[in-house]
Amino acid sequence: MGDYEASKINHDNHLLLDQPLLRLPYELLRKNFRSAHFVIEKDSTQVKATLKEAATASLSGKSSPDDVLKNLDVMLNKMRGLKRKLSACADEEERLYRQLDARTAHLAELNDIHTVDDVRYQPWSRKRLDRLMVDYMLRHGYSDSAEAMSEQKGMQDLVDIETFKSMNRIRKALENGSVAEALAWCQENKKELRKMDSDLEFNLRYQQFIELIRTQDTPRKLEAIAHAKKYLLPYRDTHPDEVSTICGLLAYPPIYNFDSGTGRPNPSKAGIFPLQLGPNYDNNGSLYPLLTVCPPRYTNIYSQTRWQELADSFVAAHNELLSLPSSPLLHIALNAGLSALKTPACHSNVQHSTAAGYNTGNKNTTVCPICSMELNELAKAVPYAHHSKSHVEHDLYVLPNDRVYGKARLLEYAKKNGLPDSLVKDLVTGDVFPWDELKKVFIT
Amino acid sequence: MDTLRREIHSLNKAPKLRSTVQDVDKIIEELEAARAQVAATLDTHTASLTMAKLQNPLNRHFEVMTQDLKNVSKVHKNLGKTLDKAMPVKPLPTDHDVMAEHMDLINRAIAMHLLREGEFSVAETFQNETQDDVTLADVTATQPSTGPDGTEDQIMSEPDGGGPDLMEMSYQSEPVAKRQQSQASHIPPPELKDRFADMYRILESIRHHDLGPAIEWAREHSEELEARGSNFEFDLTKLQYVWLFRGPEVNGLPSDRPNGRLGAYLYGKENFPRFQARHLHEIQQLASAMVFAPNLPDSPYSSLFAVDQSFSEIAASFTREFCSLLGLSAESPLYIATTAGALALPRAIKYASAALAKGTAWTTTDELAFETPLPSNMIYHSIFVCPVSKEQTNEANPPVMIPCGHVLGRETLKKLCKGNRFKCPYCPQDGLFKDARRIVL
Repeated sequence: MGDYEASKINHDNHLLLDQPLLRLPYELLRKNFRSAHFVIEKDSTQVKATLKEAATASLSGKSSPDDVLKNLDVMLNKMRGLKRKLSACADEEERLYRQLDARTAHLAELNDIHTVDDVRYQPWSRKRLDRLMVDYMLRHGYSDSAEAMSEQKGMQDLVDIETFKSMNRIRKALENGSVAEALAWCQENKKELRKMDSDLEFNLRYQQFIELIRTQDTPRKLEAIAHAKKYLLPYRDTHPDEVSTICGLLAYPPIYNFDSGTGRPNPSKAGIFPLQLGPNYDNNGSLYPLLTVCPPRYTNIYSQTRWQELADSFVAAHNELLSLPSSPLLHIALNAGLSALKTPACHSNVQHSTAAGYNTGNKNTTVCPICSMELNELAKAVPYAHHSKSHVEHDLYVLPNDRVYGKARLLEYAKKNGLPDSLVKDLVTGDVFPWDELKKVFIT
Repeated sequence: MDTLRREIHSLNKAPKLRSTVQDVDKIIEELEAARAQVAATLDTHTASLTMAKLQNPLNRHFEVMTQDLKNVSKVHKNLGKTLDKAMPVKPLPTDHDVMAEHMDLINRAIAMHLLREGEFSVAETFQNETQDDVTLADVTATQPSTGPDGTEDQIMSEPDGGGPDLMEMSYQSEPVAKRQQSQASHIPPPELKDRFADMYRILESIRHHDLGPAIEWAREHSEELEARGSNFEFDLTKLQYVWLFRGPEVNGLPSDRPNGRLGAYLYGKENFPRFQARHLHEIQQLASAMVFAPNLPDSPYSSLFAVDQSFSEIAASFTREFCSLLGLSAESPLYIATTAGALALPRAIKYASAALAKGTAWTTTDELAFETPLPSNMIYHSIFVCPVSKEQTNEANPPVMIPCGHVLGRETLKKLCKGNRFKCPYCPQDGLFKDARRIVL
């Protein structure tokens, strides 16, 4: 460690964080192709059918020239619509090709860089950090910052602002209790979601059902039953638990102040109990209407946190569909990086003599990135790096106060402080000692 | 990667979806022509004839379109294959994302990174956006049970382990660092922006070879710099002297009294005495160079007077000094951490897959289970690994030095002891346990 070997760039492994950079446009390319394929298939079959019908009708003399004209107009409209959709797809394809080109060019820059000490590596790595930050911002919905940042750095082709913006739009909608946007997205990606065995659509439909019941309004409840028949029953094999609650939900109204522990209504805020079938004594001898002792199973269903769960499962499905890692890349990089850099000294209370730069030693002291305020608190969450070899300064001496420094650094510091040759000064505490009291330290 | 790059580069010539748009255009043309024909006569016979004639060309166009689509699909498939080959999918370790719990800290780190990079407008946008988020979260989730006092203490106590000398100094001199600590943990201190704005202003003037603002700054912080053992102020003064010395031909300043050799002489006379105690030798050299002025390149002083690199060097050391006085590292920690992350990630993935295959898990949480090789400039602390137990020393098991000067982990020494005597594992000497000194590396 710390040798040439460690600073060499292993090209096979160095781009792990950059996989989504190319994967995402590729997945989008495929998605775009699929939608182009879909509209072509749909519209061309229709046009072909209309054409055949119109031709036979007109040959057999069943239709007038006006009818023929009408049919032709229908076909023309269809084809113009198709053209519009296809042009959009073709534009998107061109944009994605341009992105792919820019991105591979960016990644290829690394090909000629063989060590991290190469002067060209730093700008490249900085650019990567910028990308990771934009990715982080986008995933957390800070789109304005992401846009400002990518504009500032001129790297619009290297980041996926639009993709994440539409993702965040749908997520926000879910968090605010609207399923329409997410359902439209499910419709768009139906086949792929089915392949992934995603239950997102079912959960969205189920939520719709819950919301209809929540109103406790009779026509709405009827609508809910129809909704359940249409959208939920087909899932009874894959989601037997949820489907079996459908009827139960009809019986247990949403009384928000059910105590989640006991399942009993909270007497301080008495709700309305529409289904009172008679008094019933429970174990404690207190009086409760029979059906208002709501099993926790049903209270949970009415919980508002379900919206957050839906939003999260949408994000998960979205990321899986586009082969994006489930957490922001910056998290992954920081997780690995912080623990690689962290040492036991970074959070210790002892004032380590080499805390300020053993490596830059002789030149100027610089603060360790983990000790620096920005990351110190964050780094507490990760383990420190494992080392099998000591990394210490050359030629160590111990001062009478038990602190150890490299000889070169001691000499330099004494000289900087204008001390005579016979004295040294502790770099941290500032104590001055005569050289004769120092003792050599052997590190094996 | 090269193949991939070539392939993507040649995509422009490959079949594209655009061609299907052209196919649609042709169909529209045919349809329009047919419509015109039928509309012109409005005759049943012509109508049926046109419709019959339309069948074949239209169907042919549709076939072409399908074929075009197939070609595009082929291109995409090939691209996918090349991509798989150039960049085989390696799943990233995302199972326990510790960072997700510390979003506020990451946000703060990013905001501070943006500030130190001089991206003030982006930083502001980011802070506004994240702050909205925080207030929102505070309203919805009622969880700030750990009061501001608790967090403050925590933060206050911990930088001691870090660059203590610098931190302490910045406490005395720069109120910024101290006030920062008492700030809510997710917001970078507001003063920081002004500090970095200052830094960029000074850097900008250094870039224009104007040392004035930097000298002013160094003089203001003279004491702290000295306490750090930094020669920065003297270096600045020296460069200014050299710069003036080289005269108008080199520095492009107006040739008047305060410029040129005379200017340098006057400047030196005024400023060097303060540094005499510590830098007498260098000052003597700089002054004697006057004698060689007509033939400087051949004189022994030529190297002292080369200014090509000096300004970028002084800019770099200015950044370092400036950040150190704020208790910050000179290079953005976020940058170093992500770069280190990219370097360490392959090992992490390898370990994760191996652990998965064996069905074992690393149980201690303080230390990573595998070594992550980093280049030497990313090692900031001394690391001592006990040569006997091969364990890294830490607070609980500190390094101890035995009388012969060898260093071991304290736990190791305890095990080596027979009674209270031990024998050094590396040399023939022995000693008493009480003679071992705990040392601080």
